[in-house]
Formats: sequence, C-alpha cells, structure tokens
Amino acid sequence: MTRAGRDKFAQKSLGGLHRNIKQAKCLMVGAGGIGCELLKNLVLTGFGEIHIVDLDTIDLSNLNRQFLFGRQHIKKPKALVAKETASRFNPNTKLTAHHANIKDSNFNVAWFKSFTIVFNALDNLDARRHVNKMCLAADVPLIESGTTGFNGQVQVISKAVTECYDCTTKPIPKSFPVCTIRSTPSQPIHCIVWAKSYLFNELFGASEDEVPEFDHSEDTDNAQEIKNLRQEAQELKRIRETLGQPEFAQNVFEKVFNKDITRLLEMKDMWKNRKPPAPLSFTSLSRGSLSSCPSDQRIWTPEENLWVFCDSLDRLSLRILGLKSMGEDLLLSFDKDDEDKLDFVAASANLRSQVFDIGCQSKFNIKQMAGNIIPAIATTNAITAGICVMQAFKVLKQKIKDARMVFLSMSGDRGLITEPLRTPNPSCQICGVARLDFECDTSKIQLQEFIKVVLQDVFEYSPSISILHDKLIYDEEYDDNLDASFENLGITDGSFLTILDESDDDQPRRVNLIVQIKTRSPSEPEKSFVIPHRIDIPMKQAQPPSLDSLVLSGKDFGRNNSPHVSNEVEQSRKRKAEDTLDSNQEPSKKVKAEGEIIIIDDGYIEID
Amino acid sequence: MSATMEDVIENGSATVSQLQPNASDEISAEEVALYDRQIRLWGMDAQARMRNAHILLVTIKALGNEIAKNLVLAGIGAITVHDAETTTEEDLGAQFFVDDEMVGLNRAEAAAPALQKLNPRVKVSTDTTEGIESRGADYFKKFSVVIVTEADFSTLTSINNACREAEVAFYAGSSYGLYGFVFADLIKHQFVIERERSNVETKIGSETRTRSLVSATTRKEPGGKFTEFVTKEEVYCPLEQVVVSQIDKKWRPRKRKAVSSVLPAVFGLWKFQQTHGRLPDPDEHKEDTKLFMASMHDSRNSLGLPLDNVDPSFAISFLDSVGTELSPVAAILGGMLAQGVINFLGKREQPLQNILVFDGDVTSAPIYCLRPQGDEE
Repeated sequence: MTRAGRDKFAQKSLGGLHRNIKQAKCLMVGAGGIGCELLKNLVLTGFGEIHIVDLDTIDLSNLNRQFLFGRQHIKKPKALVAKETASRFNPNTKLTAHHANIKDSNFNVAWFKSFTIVFNALDNLDARRHVNKMCLAADVPLIESGTTGFNGQVQVISKAVTECYDCTTKPIPKSFPVCTIRSTPSQPIHCIVWAKSYLFNELFGASEDEVPEFDHSEDTDNAQEIKNLRQEAQELKRIRETLGQPEFAQNVFEKVFNKDITRLLEMKDMWKNRKPPAPLSFTSLSRGSLSSCPSDQRIWTPEENLWVFCDSLDRLSLRILGLKSMGEDLLLSFDKDDEDKLDFVAASANLRSQVFDIGCQSKFNIKQMAGNIIPAIATTNAITAGICVMQAFKVLKQKIKDARMVFLSMSGDRGLITEPLRTPNPSCQICGVARLDFECDTSKIQLQEFIKVVLQDVFEYSPSISILHDKLIYDEEYDDNLDASFENLGITDGSFLTILDESDDDQPRRVNLIVQIKTRSPSEPEKSFVIPHRIDIPMKQAQPPSLDSLVLSGKDFGRNNSPHVSNEVEQSRKRKAEDTLDSNQEPSKKVKAEGEIIIIDDGYIEID
Repeated sequence: MSATMEDVIENGSATVSQLQPNASDEISAEEVALYDRQIRLWGMDAQARMRNAHILLVTIKALGNEIAKNLVLAGIGAITVHDAETTTEEDLGAQFFVDDEMVGLNRAEAAAPALQKLNPRVKVSTDTTEGIESRGADYFKKFSVVIVTEADFSTLTSINNACREAEVAFYAGSSYGLYGFVFADLIKHQFVIERERSNVETKIGSETRTRSLVSATTRKEPGGKFTEFVTKEEVYCPLEQVVVSQIDKKWRPRKRKAVSSVLPAVFGLWKFQQTHGRLPDPDEHKEDTKLFMASMHDSRNSLGLPLDNVDPSFAISFLDSVGTELSPVAAILGGMLAQGVINFLGKREQPLQNILVFDGDVTSAPIYCLRPQGDEE
C-alpha cells in the first residue's frame, strides 16, 4: 500500500524538482556514518532507485551514530542491514544492496554510467579516489563528503565543470624518520609506532625486511646506525624462536628494554643534547599480581605495564602456538580492536616511554593513536548527509553552477561556510587527461603491437613514453613486457592504461592519455584489435597555475578564517602548486623520503 | 586528559561545582565501548553529564525525529516525547519513526518504539495530553533541557517563560521546507574551553555583548607546554525580547543587507500567526501572500534591516515551504539543535547565541545574536 500524502510536502516545497528526484537512480558508496544518514534522507525524499555498496560489517562502536543498525546486527554486512532498515521508510524507493568492494571489476564504467548521480560516503582515500576516477570516466556527477569530529565537508564533482577529488593533493600520512622511532624517540607517538610497527611485527608478524613500510635507504650520516638497527632486528628474530618457552617474555624484555638501550647509550654523540635513556631490568622490576588487565582509562603504573607486557605476550604466544598446531599461517598483524595485540602494544610503548622518560599514555589514548581513530558523532554525519542532498538538488536541477563547496564548522556567527565550486585544475593528473576507448582481444594483442600500431602510428607518440596499469608496465628502459599479451599483463575488460608523455623537459608534453580497454565485439574475429580514430590530446600547460592565483581566489571567501578542514585544503592547494607531479597516479615512481618509515593506514583523514 | 579537568574547574571557579551534580558517576566499560568515538571527542565527563540529563521534546515531526535520534544515540539519560496529535499520511514524507500502519495513532506513541530501539539504555517516555503550553514552571523544572519544535509563537514564548522561571535551558526550532531556524535561551550558561596557553595573557572580563571570561587555570603538560582551562559565561534573553530586538547597532549597511531573509521571514510568520490565528495559506486565502509580505516587511523594519533585504521571489518560495517538511533540511537543523543541546550538557563548547537560521536554497546557516540593546556596555 502506498500513501499519496507521503509526497505532498516534497511536491509542494520542491516543485518540478520532485519529478527528477523520483526518476533518479543513485549510487551510494559506503553505508557507515554518513551513509546511514544519507540513505534515510534519500529514501524519505523519494529518490526512485538507490544502490548501496559497502564491504564492511557492523561493529559495536558504530552504534553511537549509524542508526540503521542495532546490537542484533553486529558482525552483519552494513549494506544489507542498511537496505533492510531503510526500506521501511518509504516503500516507493527501489533499494539494491551490494556487500562488496567498490573496486571489484563488475562495478565497471558501464555500470557507473547507469546512475544519475553518485554519493561517496567513504572513510578512506583509496576508495574515494577510485570512485572519483570512475565517475570521471563515466561522466556521472559525484557528491563527495567527509567528516571528522564536529566538522564536515561536501564537494560536488562534475567532469570538466568542477574540480575533481584529485585536483588538490590530499595530506599524506604522517611519517617518522626511522632513527627517531628506533633510537631517539621524544614523544609518546614515537614509542607507540615503535611498539606497533617494529616490535609487534618482529615478534609476531612479517619481519622488518618484508614490511614495505620500512625503508632502509642509507646516507652517510646514518649508515652505521641503520646497520646497527638491522643487527638488532636480527637478534630479535632469534629470540622469536624461543616463543612459547617460559623465559620468552624475559628474553624479549631484556633485549629491547635493556641490551638495545645499553648499546644506544654507548653512542655518546647521540646524547649530547638529549636526555640519555635509562635501561630497565626485568628482575629488578616487580611484576605485581593482577587478576585482569587494569582500566584502559588511566595511565598504568610501571608494575602494571610489566604485568600487561608479560600477560599479553603469553596470550599472543598461545595463539601463535595454537595456529601452528593446526598448521596455519603464523603471522599476526596489528589490529586495534584485538585486545591481546592492543595490550601488548600499549604496555610495550609505555615501557619504552619509561626508558626515554617520555610521558606514558592510557590504553584508551594509545588505541586512538595506534589505530588512527577519528572521533565521529551522529550530529555531524546527519548535517553533512543533509547537505549532500541539498547539493544533489542543484545537480538534478541542472544548476551545478549554483552548487557549493560546503564546510560544516560551527562558530559564533555561522554554522556553515560555503565557497563557489572551482574549475578543474588543468594540471590534474586524474581529470586533466585525454580519454580513449580501445577495443581489443586481450588474449591476442601484445604490448608492443599496441605501442607501435596505436600509440606511435595513430597518435604519433615519440618513443619516450611510460605505460602504467596498476604499476609501470613499460618505459624506454623497461621493455620486458613487450612480447606479453594484455591478458598476461592482467589487463582485462574495463582495465585502464595510463600513457605518460616523457619527452624531454624542454619539449611540450601531452597530458596523460587514459585508455579504457573493452574486450572487443566478436564480429571481426580475424583482428586482435580495432584501430581507434585519432583524438586530440592537448599539451600540458607550460606553467602550473601560479600560487598567487590559487590563494587569492580563496581569500575573498574568508578562507583564511576558515576552520581546519578548509585549511587542510588550502595547504594542499599550495602543495599542489609547488609540486604538480602527483605521485598517486604513478605508484612505481613514488619517491620515498630517505630513511623514513611510511605509515600507511586507511581513513587517516576523515572517517565516515 | 579530561579526568583531571574536574579538579581544575573546581579550583578555578567556586560556582562551577554546582554545575556538575553527577559528573563523577563511573561509566561502564560497555558504555565506553559503545560511545568510544564520541568520548574521544568530548571526553568522559561530558558523557557522564549527558547520561544524567532528562530532556523534554515537544512535538515529534521531522525535526523532532532528528533531534530525538541524535540525542538518544548520544546517550542522554532520559527523554520525554510530547505530542498530542495523531500521525497523518503527510508525516510519512519526512519522518522515519513512523510507517503506513501508524497513520491515525498518536504521533509520540507511534514514534517511541523505534526511538527506544536506537538505544536501550535511554529511558524513553511519552506524553500525549494537550495543553503543554499552559503548564507552569513546576512541570518543566524536572527537565535538564526543554526543546520545543514546530510550535506557534505563543506556545514558544509561554514555554520559554515557564522554563526561565524554572531555570531550565530552552531550545526551539522549526523547519519550513527548505528553510528553518534554531533558537536557544540558556538563561546563564558556564562552560570550560580547553586550549593551549598562548603568549597573550588571558583577561578576565567581558568578551562580547553576551559572553564574559570568568576564570582561567593552567596545567603543565609532560612536553613542557601548558594547557589552559578557561571558564566562560554566556547570558541569554527570552524569545519575546528577541523578536522586538534589532540587529547589532554597530553593523554597517552592507552587513545589514547581507542578513539572511529567513530571519525576517520567520519573525513575519510569527507576526502573521499572532494577527490571523493561523498559518498563511495562499491556496485557501488568496490575500495571504500580500498579508504575509506585509508582516515580513514589518519584521524586517523592526530588525533594522534595509528594504532590499527582502526579495519578493524569496517570500513566495518561503510561503510554499511553510507547513511542509523535508528530510535533509530536518537532518541539518536537527543535527545543529541536538549538537547545541549536547554542547550545553557537556559544558565544553561555545553554545549557540542565540538564533540560527537556515536557507537550503543557498546552503547558509548564519547565527544572529538578538537582544535588547542599550542595557549593556
């Protein structure tokens, strides 16, 4: 049964727009904090059809804001439960749920093209970038959103009309020099990173040499220290063999809190201007006798730290041995929601803080720092999701010029800050590109055939090019794959290749060419591909847009008084102007700073 | 972090202890796990204060749905939902606590089960008896905060005045299609801002027309920095004074012109209601458009705003919106109102002072401080 009165208010206050809403088919990526609120708004406003994609399952800590879920839904897929709950809000909306990763290959460009509008309600950069790219390829408008704490942000993205998500570089995850973490910590976070990314991994996970986050680049200043550190890690590996024996905890303790520290103390130069560390002795510390882990809200005493250190090591060892007896994978990886692992990291970090006389932290705070937890509340998500729909109204009315970039940031004189949408950044590597659809039989076509017949003959590319798939597959010095077929290179229907013009610096260069692969129609089985028509590939702008022009255009709108959400944008704009060569599109060329650990974690900018 | 804040506050200001009656109540591990992501934002003490709060929500339509949802999820102690009307088909358009089967049932009773489901820890009760506007201070005294939504002007002012007498914080809000407002009268409210101590000395005394800095204490952090705890106080005035107040006299013409037209529209709507005893409805009464425009201009004038602040096409769009509700607008206003209540209870953030208006056409939400002028400075 449907009730006619249901639409009365929307018809009256929205007029003709309401018809567009009823005919709209939308995609919502993410059914978390913003997603639950957004789905409610979309369903009640009367959107015709909504697809929901989310790969996550429901956790207790979601329930303070993700109101479509209850306690009985914990561990169930978010997409499915969200659909079930929201379907009761309006029987006229057609809902489809996909408990899946939006990066799955079946969510291809053709599928994205079937939507009127796409909403991002995501918690990580990688998926945001992917949807941005797909929406640009499919030419579907995207409403992008994010929240952190009291603040939120909504951005409308439309190909060739507005900036895309990647027109401004996003802040990169915080990283620390390896020597700060391993030799000269000065803040609690240094000790937490040490416990989580070094000690935990050496004892239970992939050891240092196999962890991609660690970079052992040496320079003349730290060569000797890097060598020492590697030796320390080797010694720890030997202690790892004693796992399960009664003296294991003591062995680990004496190694990392005594022997390694004593060695560090010998490097007198290191402590000229720093307070030297004080080694701990396992036998002289009393381990206390507790029956359970002390409260995570207060800072533990030294005795409690030692107790939790030993107790969590016992628990983790038992798990490793249990896995071993069942012949299973022996490697653990850190997970903030795993109490055994968190206890170990918290106690280890605090013991190290004691050694270096740095303030200890409560387990509650260590969880936040080790797990990159971003505070999230219902009200911020509700407001942000509401703004997403208000912006979608502009898109559906074909009045994208009236849409705004909106920041939620309460102050004494206003709740929201708006700015006009910006035009695309001409040097953006993601949207400032040429696009080509290429039909081929991926099992037959070889890379060299593609380069010769398509890129060189049709498009007249010079030999100075690079080709990227997920990683670099060809450049002038890397010709290993020339004989391989697309199929053997993992290139299939819907894959994207990026062609970079690598002409000399003094030559004009073309913008990147994005080639979308389509497995070819079987009408001409004798050919391995269809020769494409030549399209115009514009040259890159000789000069990146000046920093002044970027900053000035923001000043008129009070950007300098804006909250930190927009300051981040401001900073990233500057960074963009200084360094237009964006690394995200060119993973193989990512330059790592020397001697730094790059901590990679999803959701470090904004959560749901 | 915040555990030591209580101590600091008590040393910092003699009056503060009475502001935090039950803040010391221990929050269980289970609650910490459930409320983890918000405790990390506003701290354990604010969470404890919320748990001891009893909220009265008057009228649960779309805006009320959003407010109730946000407060119950956040973990307030108890909420009483008052609504004497029955659920209509139109209610299904923007309300998510009711469905087809509930049309005809009392709206508070229809919404309560779904509201309760959001958080079993919160005590949810309903009140369906008429005449809430004529209950005296004694009735409102038992609540920590009273929120009135979608009410006419005389209901707003009579409950506001009763709350003043009972010394209870008062919030009001309405959504009109794409537009709406949130109003706060917290009488006199103290809160503590935690910040890094700067080089500029913190001065005790008046900060704005309504806010003064009461006291400040500092705590040394392990890193050598200092955290400063600043107690501030905002002083409010009731709605009946707000509607006869002018925009800040010091504002220049350009700033006056830029004041959102939603402000004179809401005031004009109240004026219309008082004069005609009903909402304007041009479909039924042709002359209402003209009459409403006249009320709106009256309000614009008494606010001290220039003639071109009111655009006729805006007035028409606003009239179309009167009496309707839209889910995304209710979500925005309900989010802002509920966060205001949470900030009031938590006592750690600058609260709303004193009226926010929302314009969904341009997505703006300016805040105006309206109060009689001349009785300060």
